[in-house]
Amino acid sequence: MKIKYLLVGVLILVVGIVAGITLIPSEEKRVRKQFSLLSQWVSKSSEENAFTMLQKMKNIGTLFDEHCEIKIPDQSLSGIYTRQEVSTYAGSARSYISELDLKFHDLRIIFPEEKIARVNLTARLTGKSTAGERVDETRELECVLRKIDKQWLFSQIEVIEVLKK
Amino acid sequence: MLLKRVVASEGEQVEFCEGRLLVNGKELEEPYVRYPCRWNLSPRQVEKDCVYVVGDNRNMPIENHHFGQTSKDRIVGVPLW
Repeated sequence: MKIKYLLVGVLILVVGIVAGITLIPSEEKRVRKQFSLLSQWVSKSSEENAFTMLQKMKNIGTLFDEHCEIKIPDQSLSGIYTRQEVSTYAGSARSYISELDLKFHDLRIIFPEEKIARVNLTARLTGKSTAGERVDETRELECVLRKIDKQWLFSQIEVIEVLKK
Repeated sequence: MLLKRVVASEGEQVEFCEGRLLVNGKELEEPYVRYPCRWNLSPRQVEKDCVYVVGDNRNMPIENHHFGQTSKDRIVGVPLW
């Protein structure tokens, strides 16, 4: 009888551990989720209406730290921007684009300190400008996210120049 | 990750002249380039531990093409065929 209870106990423990591992997202999964949301909210279809656009702009801001350092030399964008400025800039940039698809590839995530994630990745932006020009840009990025109030927020985004003409 | 073709290695000199790619002053045969271009780029030497890479798709202005010198240790793979 004791063995039966012991086996049931072990079984419950194993099920609990497996459920914990599979159902509770790891920190890495939470960080990946932020990139997936950023990709979703930056991307734009040709049928996007004004309401969706405003909602996406607002959503983009929620992924960023109160102050985020951005270094994109190609776009002469370098400095520390507030969440609101990032949101406004994203909205302004999207207005020149009729279709946009942002994808992130090869994410390498490390946690150098508690509540800090450093992510190296490749970003690919494809689409069409409102003037009909094709957009196809691929860049390597290094991002730092900080965990604030249980949320991973972008606090640094830097374009890494890997090719020198 | 970028997919580019290695056209020159360390110490070699690279330049574009009216779309022709010259390595150490000699034109490189490039049958893989489908769309000819008219790029011009002054000669430059590939630094130590680096390679020079260019994409095959060159039907855009040189300013819009992402190519150049990169460190060898950034190479992570080769094509399977």
